[in-house]
Amino acid sequence: MKLIKAIVRPNKVDDVKAALEKLQISGMTVTEVRGHGKQKGHTAIYRGQEYNVSLLPKMEVEVVVPDSMADDAIKAIIESARTGEIGDSRVFVIPVLESYKIRTGEREA
Amino acid sequence: MSSESNIAPTDPRHDARVSRAARLDAARRELADASGRGEGGRHAMRQYSHRMDALVQQLYADAGSLTQSVAVFALGGYGRRELCLHSDVDLLILFAGVIGREDERFLHAFLNPLWDLGLTIGHHVREVAEGAGLEVDNSEFLLALTDARPVVGDATLLDQFHGAADVARTNARTLEALKGLIAERHAKYNGTLYQLEPDVKESPGGLRDLFGAQTIAKLTDPLLLANGGSGARALEDAEEFLLRVRSVLHLEAGRHHNILSHEVQERVAERLNYAGSTPSQRVERFMGDYFRHAKAIDRSLRFALKAAPAPIGTNLVRGTDGIRFIDTREAAERPETWLALFQAALDGGCAVSDDALTCVGQNAGRFAAEAFCPTTRHREVLLHFLKPRPGLYARLSEMHDCGMLGQMFPEFKAINCRVVRDFYHKYTVDEHTLLTIRNLERLVENPVRDRERFGRLLGELQEPELLVLSLLYHDVGKWTDEDHTIESARMAHQMFERLDLDPHQRAEVDFLVREHIKMSLIAFRRDTEDPEIVRQFAQFVGTEERLKALCLMTLADVEAVSRETLTPWKEELLWRLYVDTYNHLTLTYGDEVIDREQSLHSTLLDHRPDDVSVDEVAAFLEGLPRRYLQLFSVEAVYQHVRLSRDLAPDAVKVWMTRVASGWELTVLTHDRPFLFSNIAGVLSSHGMDILRGFAFTKPTGLIVDMFHFTDEERFLELNAEGEGELLRTLTDVVLGRADIAARLRGREQGAFRRKLPEFAPVVHCDNESSRRYTIVEIVAEDAMGLLYRVSRAMSESGCDVDLVLIGTEGRRAIDVFHLTRAGAKLTSAQQADITGNLQRVLEGRS
Repeated sequence: MKLIKAIVRPNKVDDVKAALEKLQISGMTVTEVRGHGKQKGHTAIYRGQEYNVSLLPKMEVEVVVPDSMADDAIKAIIESARTGEIGDSRVFVIPVLESYKIRTGEREA
Repeated sequence: MSSESNIAPTDPRHDARVSRAARLDAARRELADASGRGEGGRHAMRQYSHRMDALVQQLYADAGSLTQSVAVFALGGYGRRELCLHSDVDLLILFAGVIGREDERFLHAFLNPLWDLGLTIGHHVREVAEGAGLEVDNSEFLLALTDARPVVGDATLLDQFHGAADVARTNARTLEALKGLIAERHAKYNGTLYQLEPDVKESPGGLRDLFGAQTIAKLTDPLLLANGGSGARALEDAEEFLLRVRSVLHLEAGRHHNILSHEVQERVAERLNYAGSTPSQRVERFMGDYFRHAKAIDRSLRFALKAAPAPIGTNLVRGTDGIRFIDTREAAERPETWLALFQAALDGGCAVSDDALTCVGQNAGRFAAEAFCPTTRHREVLLHFLKPRPGLYARLSEMHDCGMLGQMFPEFKAINCRVVRDFYHKYTVDEHTLLTIRNLERLVENPVRDRERFGRLLGELQEPELLVLSLLYHDVGKWTDEDHTIESARMAHQMFERLDLDPHQRAEVDFLVREHIKMSLIAFRRDTEDPEIVRQFAQFVGTEERLKALCLMTLADVEAVSRETLTPWKEELLWRLYVDTYNHLTLTYGDEVIDREQSLHSTLLDHRPDDVSVDEVAAFLEGLPRRYLQLFSVEAVYQHVRLSRDLAPDAVKVWMTRVASGWELTVLTHDRPFLFSNIAGVLSSHGMDILRGFAFTKPTGLIVDMFHFTDEERFLELNAEGEGELLRTLTDVVLGRADIAARLRGREQGAFRRKLPEFAPVVHCDNESSRRYTIVEIVAEDAMGLLYRVSRAMSESGCDVDLVLIGTEGRRAIDVFHLTRAGAKLTSAQQADITGNLQRVLEGRS
């Protein structure tokens, strides 16, 4: 299993969700996050005063998928979240060793 | 010598005088007899007062014809029908209008016979209009007035007299005066009622104390004395006892005498039929009773002084449980007064009392919406009430819970306890709505961390009450399952009619209600880093005022969905959209000129009046920023077209109009050096505080400037010719016929001497945001002549001031200038130069 953690633009969450659902991936966790990538934010000006916008609002979408589906899921996320501009963010893929259902204690492969 | 003294015995007037004297003697004999029997109490005095009324009525009728409405009122003890044998007869003679010569003749004819009868008359003569200054009238008169009773004439004059007064202030002052007089009087008696030779009127525990306690109750809470102190029954007994004693004292002394001396105590005890084998025994028993009654009065007075709620408005007092009505029965019939109850609670930072809420709740259903705000003044009071501030949510909730809010705004009733099962709203629609207002009021004082920025936006809104009104209506359409934004707006229009809102107010509320979800959709669902999205949104909102209101509405609305909905993350997205849109509106609007495809452009052409041609409108609009059409009404645009027609190079068209919160000045002329600073300077030189404004320059050099200002020094108010003088000065200065610099210098020096700026000014040059202009943003502490000084510095640096946006946030001036020099943006060196110059000006160094 793979944990796919995608940091995307807030307005792209719905598109990412739709793309994953097309792959029959419905279970996901979505979190509001703030951060910056290589560009380290930018400077904004309000009423003549500059202020540094270092942590940009993003959304984090997490899904756990079988190894066999990981590539398709990653591709779907990248295609649906891409704008081509700076700030399109990242997808991280992490191996999952074990998974348990809390309600039943059942271990999943 | 009185006018009647010379009347011969054969004159019929002589008979009348004799008859009056006989009637008065008979009345006095009647009271004297009762007093002698020890029965000169309440009943006997009432009889005597009644006889005096008849005498006064007869004299009034005999005094001759009247040229206007007049009435005579009994005051003080006579007003209470407790006229004693040798008491002064206190009268108020009230005239409907100005007292003239004929009225003075009437006064003489009325009062002289009373003096001739040997009565001691205490008379006050007033005109109804003098009620306006009642609260500063003398305190004895104010106290006497609390017992005013009509005797003869037009009794409604007293209502008119009180109607002209500021009742709350008058009552408060009467109460304070009474407390002062009581303390002063008690001090004369060393603060103790246990006097061996007491004055039954003046001593502590005497009749004046009783009257004092009754007056406090009358002014604050009619049931006060029944609920504490010695109780109503004990006070009645004490009053009867003291009145009987006083009657005997007057009888024995044959004059106005109230001291119960050792010598007279025996006579009084005997007349009051006290038992005892010796005079000493009778006196001891009598004086024992006296002290018992005096103690009862003293106890009630102390209670009244301690427990009386404070009068705070017409028929309103503040008690320990909150604001309540003094007279609940009167309040029940006057729904237009109810808002004052909640306003007083809001002002006092307290609740509305349960009994007042019960009164409103029991009666609200009897009245239609119109009954709550029947006049323009009432509607203004309502809008004032809706200004966001701590406590507004609590008061609106009280109004909602007791049913008043739903009666006042029937559209709101439609969402009473309305449940919409959308799985993310946590509260009923009505409570969600009220919570949005709570969220807004929390921005006013001590907003939580990171909310100060939103709080400042709220402080900048010109009419924040319209935002509250919009919040109140934003979800009323949820009574149906159709698109609630459209339905809410439709329902809001019903309210517009009832409250008779002006077109501008209607447009603002309609926009906010109809579009209240737009900003959250864009902030949370669109790519706000895309400049095109921001540009479209800026175009959609049009002005900074609407942007700020919509931003705050979004914040308040999202936060009211549930405790978890508005995360710092969402706040940040919202704020960034606000900043980007604000910057677009203020920094780049100069690049967006009106084009012929714009819908409003077509509307202006299609609906133009007969005297304005298509070519004229098109030529006038050419080259002006689109923003011009958002700031001026269609009628104003046609007016500008007309006035700019054949405008000579040396001509100036300038006019002023009064608006709700001050004045608006519009100037139409051709550009010339120092034009903008000269206009600002003229306004400042007349003491005007410039709050907002904007300046537009067409490529042809025609300028349209508009300033919104307040008349801080009341120059226009106090000078009938002030408006004309200001406009003349302005024209002379603009055309170079007068110099404003010298006139302003003295004022500026004075302003600088008065105080130093509390924060460092900000000057920021921006050469990126606009293709055509260098933009200079200035944020500085607002001061007299600030706009004049900074714009003059720009002109002195060789810059053309092409576009200007003027704004203020409290004491902070926020001005944005679009500059060019020789038709081009400023170079880096020129920017550095002007920034330095402006910093020096703002810091008072040049």
